[in-house]
Amino acid sequence: MAVSATIRIDPTRCRGHAICAVFFSSGIELDQWGYGKITDIELQDERALTRARRAASACPNGALLVEEAQT
Amino acid sequence: MSTPVSIRPRGNPLSLGRLAQDIAREAQVPHSEGIVADAVKPVGDSFATEQSARRAVVGPAVRPVVGRVGSLGTVLLSGPTADGGPANLALHLARWGALAVDTATILDVLDSSEIDGRGGGGFPLRRKVDAARAAGHPLVIVNASESEPASRKDATLCTLRPHLVLDGAALLAKALGTSDVVVHMHRGSGMAGPLRAAIDQRKAAGFASADSWNPDRSHTVVDPAWRLSEGPDRYVSGESSAVASSVEGAEARPYFTTSPLAVSGPSGRPTVVSNVETLAHLAVAVRIGGDAWRALGSDHAPGTRLVTLTGAVAEPGLVVEASGLVTMGDLLHAGGLAHPPAAVLVGGFGGSWIDGARAWTTPFSRPGLSGIGAGPGCGMVGVLPSGACGLAETARIVAYLAGESAGQCGSCVSGLPRLASALADLASGRMRRRGLRKTASLAEEIFGSGACGHPDAVVRLVRSALDVFAGDVAAHLDGGPCSGVELAPVFTVPDPRRIDGSGGAWL
Repeated sequence: MAVSATIRIDPTRCRGHAICAVFFSSGIELDQWGYGKITDIELQDERALTRARRAASACPNGALLVEEAQT
Repeated sequence: MSTPVSIRPRGNPLSLGRLAQDIAREAQVPHSEGIVADAVKPVGDSFATEQSARRAVVGPAVRPVVGRVGSLGTVLLSGPTADGGPANLALHLARWGALAVDTATILDVLDSSEIDGRGGGGFPLRRKVDAARAAGHPLVIVNASESEPASRKDATLCTLRPHLVLDGAALLAKALGTSDVVVHMHRGSGMAGPLRAAIDQRKAAGFASADSWNPDRSHTVVDPAWRLSEGPDRYVSGESSAVASSVEGAEARPYFTTSPLAVSGPSGRPTVVSNVETLAHLAVAVRIGGDAWRALGSDHAPGTRLVTLTGAVAEPGLVVEASGLVTMGDLLHAGGLAHPPAAVLVGGFGGSWIDGARAWTTPFSRPGLSGIGAGPGCGMVGVLPSGACGLAETARIVAYLAGESAGQCGSCVSGLPRLASALADLASGRMRRRGLRKTASLAEEIFGSGACGHPDAVVRLVRSALDVFAGDVAAHLDGGPCSGVELAPVFTVPDPRRIDGSGGAWL
């Protein structure tokens, strides 16, 4: 089911732990230093949203921001 | 204070009549310096009527004019020249009249003038105002933090025309329904003195008291409670979120946010950060009308624009004011150039290189420059003479900008120093083709990864250098450094050891 949610990364908080990419490999890439890069800000479906949430809660620096649109 | 100040306007403050007389009077004085292309024709008595006054004010838009402080055809810079010191309140009021305008009119002027931000972003002021008005109880920050080392326009305005800046801030505060205004500048910028003196003049003249000069309160523009603050003299500390953080007592570093400052600042309070030139333009636009102000510019590039000329020009650091459809050739002509230079660095150190011949005919406007992948940025136009090495210049600038990272985002911290050393290798002839390919992919990796625009600006500068100096790049890859590498820098970058690590402070 389509969802209206976004994932963003606060680059000032990211320290390159790279745990996010383990939990949400389809939506987060790592750059050559290991910092996370979001491939698509829009989360396409429920599955992506679940993984994004998991990645966000796993980040030791709280650098991931998952926002769901108010409906 | 030596000059007695009359705060009561001698006529309708919004009348253009006196403005026209001033412009006519100036026309009697021979002006030649700094005006290029076709300057405005001397205006005679026929300009005394209001209708003609509008034409006199709007006139420069028809023909491109580039003028220095005090030149005919200038608007912000019209009046006393640099030698005469700052315009005091009496001179300011004699020229521009007192402010008497209601909030609805200010909002109308913001709409019709289409005033765009002059700190570099070009964001429409009206949109910030709308966002902050909707959010309520905003803080206004007058951003006098001129971070670009070669830019002088904000310092020129604050030292020579402080009352235009303060008028604009008072108007913005009125439009937002707040009296809370902070003027923020870099430490050691030299702006605090003239701004403080101007504020003292206004206080002495009763500007902060509501009914001293205009009984019609709805049209009264009361000076807000001015506070002055300063932050560290660092490149990224002039960025709006860094300025807002500094004012709120946090470190003067940009921060990551998904909501605009005008909706929610660092402490959650709506915060409108506006560049000093933007505000000075607002002070003029409210007086001459939004449409008339917009017409001082060209299509899609409203109003006049302050430009700092630097590099291989007659007077590096000269600030000029451009009206009408001005090309970079017009600007460089004012800088003493008769022919296109080798290349032009436009928009600041975090700007773009443009081939000199191409730049010469390109309009200095946001749409004109975006057509060739550049932007006006802070309004700096720097000249690279033939014989100088654009790659060596770029390498020095990138090294400086890498050192000015706020040190927060990974790819900025890790990537910029590597990009800087790659550029140094290229300039000195130590790089080979494979290295160049790696440098290009490094630049792409860095792009878009930061919380602020700093890394992106560096990448754009590097991209433009590799493009504009493509011939030099090939020569450097093949045959070692050029003779230009040995020359003294055309663009002087601040000493990287001179790091201002101090925090913000109230003045």
